Amino acid sequence: MPSPYLTLAFLAVFCFSLATRMQVWFLNWSGNRLQSASILKVLLGDSRRLFANQSFVEADVYFHGGYYPSLFDRPPGHVPAVSTAEIHGGRSPHNDLPNFLIPSDDWIARFGRHFVPSEHIHLDKPSQVGEILPWLWLSAELDPNRVQTYTVASFWLRRMGKVNEAEQFLRQGWRANPDSYAILFELGSLYDENRHDPIRARNLWELALRKWQAQETVKPKPDNFAYEQITAHLARLEEREGNRNLALHYLDLLKKVSPDPAAIQHQINRLQRPK
Amino acid sequence: MNAILALENLRVEYRNREWGRTSRVAVDGLNLEVFRGEVFGFLGPNGAGKTTTLNVLLGFTPASCGAAYLFGVNVREPIARRRIGYLPELTYYYKFLTAEELLRFYARIFHLSSAETERRIDAVLALVELQSARRQPIRTYSKGMQQRVGLAQALINEPELLILDEPTSGLDPLGRMKVRTIIQRLKNEGKTVFFSSHELGEVETVCDRVAILHQGVLKAAGRVDDLARQYQGNLEQVFLKVIGYHDND
Amino acid sequence: MINAWAVALVVIKELYRRKDFYVLFILTALITLMLGALNFFNDRQIARYLKEICLLLIWLSALAIAVVTSARQIPAERENRTIFPLLAKPITRAQVVAGKFLGCWLACGLVLAVFYLFFVVISGSREHLWPLANYFQAIWLHWWMLAVVIAMTLLGSVVFSAPSANVTISMLVVIGILLLGRHLHQVALRLTEPGQTILSVLYFALPHLEFFDVRDLIIHDWGLIPWSILGLATLYAAGYTALFLTAAWLVFRRQNLN
Repeated sequence: MPSPYLTLAFLAVFCFSLATRMQVWFLNWSGNRLQSASILKVLLGDSRRLFANQSFVEADVYFHGGYYPSLFDRPPGHVPAVSTAEIHGGRSPHNDLPNFLIPSDDWIARFGRHFVPSEHIHLDKPSQVGEILPWLWLSAELDPNRVQTYTVASFWLRRMGKVNEAEQFLRQGWRANPDSYAILFELGSLYDENRHDPIRARNLWELALRKWQAQETVKPKPDNFAYEQITAHLARLEEREGNRNLALHYLDLLKKVSPDPAAIQHQINRLQRPK
Repeated sequence: MNAILALENLRVEYRNREWGRTSRVAVDGLNLEVFRGEVFGFLGPNGAGKTTTLNVLLGFTPASCGAAYLFGVNVREPIARRRIGYLPELTYYYKFLTAEELLRFYARIFHLSSAETERRIDAVLALVELQSARRQPIRTYSKGMQQRVGLAQALINEPELLILDEPTSGLDPLGRMKVRTIIQRLKNEGKTVFFSSHELGEVETVCDRVAILHQGVLKAAGRVDDLARQYQGNLEQVFLKVIGYHDND
Repeated sequence: MINAWAVALVVIKELYRRKDFYVLFILTALITLMLGALNFFNDRQIARYLKEICLLLIWLSALAIAVVTSARQIPAERENRTIFPLLAKPITRAQVVAGKFLGCWLACGLVLAVFYLFFVVISGSREHLWPLANYFQAIWLHWWMLAVVIAMTLLGSVVFSAPSANVTISMLVVIGILLLGRHLHQVALRLTEPGQTILSVLYFALPHLEFFDVRDLIIHDWGLIPWSILGLATLYAAGYTALFLTAAWLVFRRQNLN
């Protein structure tokens, strides 16, 4: 029977040797270490995208102060307001639907309405809207490839005056989605509106436009709304910076996809008029 | 003399759960009376119907036919159990309680006043020799101690009638001796004790009268010495003869 | 009443001498505090997610304690044979059922008081708001919901022989009602006969436990529920509690304990 000290010494040498061997293997490992390091991601696997979606919807629930249609109340094609109204130029799919719960047709349903939020509100105040952020953060954690999460969070963070945080979050999203024109557009908007840095804004928007052209032109139904946004903002920036020809170029591009080409033509005419 | 425990033509049938049909008659046409101050032994082999009879007396099992009375009150009325104490066979008490708390709980059910409760707790714990362990949780007790706690709870209301189901079952010789001593003391105090047992020697020592039940039917009842004379033997021999057991069987 | 109260006191003692409550409370506190330590975009004002998680944990813990405690009461008495010395005393089976209910309900009330105190402290330290009347309404409704759950589980405990089966069935029923209860009628209307009638009857017959879940009102700082409505909800819960307890007594009273 060997001495226990000898056994311990042997085990220590064995562990040390194994550790040195494994360290090399770990450093050379080609797997996505960043993702695998998160217990949540490892546990949830691919189903995390479902949870990410749920988390995003939860942000919308918070945006409505808990007043939200259930699966049974929700009309087909229901779109979260948190990501639509303000961020896309004030278009809200249910601005004109102050009550989206199904009318209660029996006393149980009517009585039950006293115990749940039953008035359509939005968290508009910057002091309140921060409440949606944890869910957007969680959504991004669970699914880093969900672009909308970054753009929506950035929009609200900028509204709250948290420009640094918005930029940081957008850059995090850009690292995870290097080809996303939506993130580039949002980052450009941040530089233009909050940092007042038109050069960087222009670079980012031009890059966004190139990414859009590379990805969307081959699709049967391209995302024209994003294209409108990018070209309109570029046109506005160039006009502001005195680059009339470039502004006209972007307005030309915008006119091709705009639902109101006459209005764009009106802007083109205004720019072409000698001062 | 009025009987304080009376069974009148008692019949208990266990029904088959699935079909509602009679599957077994546990007790059939049992008539029995126990009088004040008696120590009454209720004997019978396993499955004779002793525990079933006790269950009817205590309201755990309804009688299919006939009636049972305690102090002249039908056992279906909870009030019938006001003046009795009951020690079940192999019972586990609330293990998270101490002996004191357990006795206080049962005393509350008898609506005893606080002062009376404390007096009774001291007295019964002294009787069963558990004063030193009164604040220990029951889960830390030995089997013998648990049986003595059982006896203490049966005595908390100073009952006039004690019903004991196999009170010495599973106890070591010392534990049996202690329980037997307590029953003897209660007898001396003039209490009525009705108990079922297999321990014929024990029954012979402490009982005034016995009844022997076999296959749900009362086979013999009377004073121990009368039965001994009638069957020409000690209680064990009487018991074996009554249930129809012969050495050459 | 004295007898029922005596039984109730033993149930309460059992609960605070067991580890279940402490484990669940520590878990709730730890998870809440850990989540509270998270930094979301350097905003220390954010509170609602924390309120939501904390209330969810409180609901789950209270439900687990209520169902598990009440499911094992009568079966454990029978299994450990403690029911025999108890029923050999001048106590009725109705008093035993009432005592068991009262004990479980009061014990759950104590549990809720501790949990909600923690919630109020966490929420107040974040928001610097102390809407005590709203919190009182939430606890009150929660407690009454537990009354219905406990009574229902007690009924299950005299119907099903195995406590584990009772716990599983009771949990499924309660969670099912909480999640789907309010939508059953809408689902029924989309079905064909006889499914429509069956589901509609179920909708009107089952206790709508979701009435008592006012977490969204608390999380999102909504106003008070009208007190008259609170009173009606209390009556509603009391009615169902009485119904289940009566049914439990009717089953238990005739049961052969042999």
